[in-house]
Amino acid sequence: MLLAIPAAIGAAFFILPLVGLLLRAPWGDALRDLAAPETLEALRLSLVASLSATALSLVLGVPLAWIYARLEFPGRTLLRALTTLPMVLPPVVGGLALLLAFGRRGFAGAWLSAGLGLTLPFTTAGVVMAETFVAMPFLVLTVESGLRSMDTRYEEAARTLGAGRWTVFRRVTLPLIGPSLFAGAVLCWARALGEFGATITFAGNFPGRTQTMPLGVYLLLETNPGASIVLSLLLLLVSLAVLVGLRDRWLGSA
Amino acid sequence: MSLEAGVRLRLGSLDLEASLAVEEGEVVALLGPNGAGKTTLLRVLAGLQPLAGGRVLLDGRVLEDAATGAYVPPERRPIGVVFQDYLLFPHLSALENVEFGLRSRGTPRAQAREEARRWLGEVGLGGHGGARPAHLSGGQRQRVALARALATSPRLLLLDEPMAALDASTRAQLRRDLRRLLAGFRGVRLLVTHDPLEAVTLGGRMVVLEAGRVVQAGSAREITERPRSRYVADLVGTNLLRGRVTGRDGLVELEAGGRLRALGAPSGEVFASVHPRAVALYRERPAGTPRNVWSGRPESMELLGDRVRVRVAGSPSIVAEVTPAAVQELRLGEGGEVWVSVKATEVEVYPA
Repeated sequence: MLLAIPAAIGAAFFILPLVGLLLRAPWGDALRDLAAPETLEALRLSLVASLSATALSLVLGVPLAWIYARLEFPGRTLLRALTTLPMVLPPVVGGLALLLAFGRRGFAGAWLSAGLGLTLPFTTAGVVMAETFVAMPFLVLTVESGLRSMDTRYEEAARTLGAGRWTVFRRVTLPLIGPSLFAGAVLCWARALGEFGATITFAGNFPGRTQTMPLGVYLLLETNPGASIVLSLLLLLVSLAVLVGLRDRWLGSA
Repeated sequence: MSLEAGVRLRLGSLDLEASLAVEEGEVVALLGPNGAGKTTLLRVLAGLQPLAGGRVLLDGRVLEDAATGAYVPPERRPIGVVFQDYLLFPHLSALENVEFGLRSRGTPRAQAREEARRWLGEVGLGGHGGARPAHLSGGQRQRVALARALATSPRLLLLDEPMAALDASTRAQLRRDLRRLLAGFRGVRLLVTHDPLEAVTLGGRMVVLEAGRVVQAGSAREITERPRSRYVADLVGTNLLRGRVTGRDGLVELEAGGRLRALGAPSGEVFASVHPRAVALYRERPAGTPRNVWSGRPESMELLGDRVRVRVAGSPSIVAEVTPAAVQELRLGEGGEVWVSVKATEVEVYPA
């Protein structure tokens, strides 16, 4: 009983706001709001950007995780801390940092726009970048822990069978860390999907170009609270589906 | 085709310094207690563990030389390894596991599949190609591991305790199969084991490694008759005593107390080995021919097949092998004083 009461309060703390959303949802207008072009546009942009950010995180984050897990080099701890900083940093600060580096006047941004004619801030590419910045650390940490807990003797066995390092990585390491890879990618994607602070700071809020669902929710709260709630519910549904799907792979084992 | 290795390295508490030469077509069993460095030596030969000193040559080709820094990585060594717990890739089927080495070494897909099938058939698993390792028995896994190692036609085959993960009932059959497969393999075969029976049945020559050093090498017979360490003596089940011969009378002054008379003993520091079967026990002091007689107390008994091994504490302490009938007749279970007798001709004495 001593534990049950605070536990019940704790659970209620999370569930009541969701009930609030459900109670206040304008069910009559829900379908219309869902089918509105802005909603669909925001949904499409959210999916495209979050999936692109996940793909980018996989391409860049898996090698990074491998290096953290397998190589010993001076400054590794510091480097790992720096690259996982976005997990604790307020996303707005991340967005601001991105803007100062990759903005038109930023040192990297100036070079990119002069050298390659690339402009990142306030574009869809900027959204992907902001989301990757915030979400990739989740993938890196999950994959790194998968790599650390895997039995590296399988890799040795593969090498004695004539497999070079790349073949070993592709045919043995990746399949063996499959569950971590999957969990990391899903976490990364979920984080990217919900990204708000860094996106609005770095990419702005342009419907059809940079206005993702979380941004839409915030904006619509002023003009059309009903639609805002419907969008929120949609996001909630997607997140819940991901968590339920992951319960065994990640939450269960934690 | 031959392997020649002189290896020196430190790893944790292990200080390994060992030389090993294996000739073409030879099977060598590397025997030793846990922690002796057997597996580490095997890993060095496979290229999985770098050397601190020494070198490894296969067929005269340098695989690794600490002096020049030459090093051929594992994937480019003509080796096949059967690991202790096999390390079959859990995400691949038996057939894909066997195929892996062939594919990695550049065999075209169709041909690799064909050869992998043939190898699985060779080890009697033709019908299990599609099964994942998790669905195979220990013995089947061992066969897949063997097929996987042999499929790439290695010139050096390394087996790390291939029987350790199996239960006793399947061992006998698998030992026979392994013996047949090893016989069909042309090249250098090195088997790591701590089971002397395995070493005798599978290995031609034995090399005994203890605490990182080769303490003895030779045929099973040589090692059984003249063990050079407590470990080997226990392994082959014989009594090993250390002592010194000073005069020309063949009298060995034992370190553990007492003395033993032997025939044709060399002088200086010696080992004396006495097989438990050659040790006779009496309740009364025996008279007559045996030259070595002393008394002691039976300490412990162990049933070994149809014989009983009795440990007798005395000067020196010794293990005798007698029949269960003798145990009853001599009432050895009651303790008390017994007389030990060993013929001088049964004491094998050799330089330490």
